[in-house]
Amino acid sequence: MLYFRSEEHVDRWCSAWRLDRGAVMTLDQGWRLSTAWFSEDRRAPEWRRRTVDEIEQLFGEIGLTSPFWNLR
Amino acid sequence: MNDDQVRARVYDVTMHSGRPPLVADLAAHFGADAAEVADSLQRLAAGRVLVVRDEVVMAAPFSAVATPFVVDSGSVSYFANCIWDALGIPAMLHRDAEIRTSCGDCGTGMTVRVEDGVAHGDGLIHFALPARQWWNDIVFT
Repeated sequence: MLYFRSEEHVDRWCSAWRLDRGAVMTLDQGWRLSTAWFSEDRRAPEWRRRTVDEIEQLFGEIGLTSPFWNLR
Repeated sequence: MNDDQVRARVYDVTMHSGRPPLVADLAAHFGADAAEVADSLQRLAAGRVLVVRDEVVMAAPFSAVATPFVVDSGSVSYFANCIWDALGIPAMLHRDAEIRTSCGDCGTGMTVRVEDGVAHGDGLIHFALPARQWWNDIVFT
């Protein structure tokens, strides 16, 4: 996941790498996703990776509902 | 020494120092053989908790190797694996941070500041791969 100055720069990068455009989100959306994903203490004995169901729920809460975010 | 303890130690060292511990450091800490530590790390990698190539390469959101995503927080500089992980470092540390990176296209330097739980910056984040493909090649992802 890379950071770009603008949509134009995203499109140029995709063209250079011959990749389809993926998903673009604002910094605020990315921050909310990172906060939800990483704010747990991974040193805690009870910490576990999220299940697919839990990840899908998290994506939904942040509004990431397009097929791009499907996990199955 | 069990896998949860190894995971906890990897994260504790990384969060405090900016770099994951080496196998030898973990073995010394636990008073264990390096082979036992390596086996534990391989199990954690198989469970997609860490990325391991002999040593810990990634303990998300942290990178053991230099990357174009430098996160300064407190008196420590961290490397992140991508912009999502770079944002994940202040989220995990629960601290303010400054992210120094560059535009993935043109290389122009860019900065993101995280202050009091808010991220400030002018850029956009691009996810190239659909979510279900992230672990096909996690280093590329």
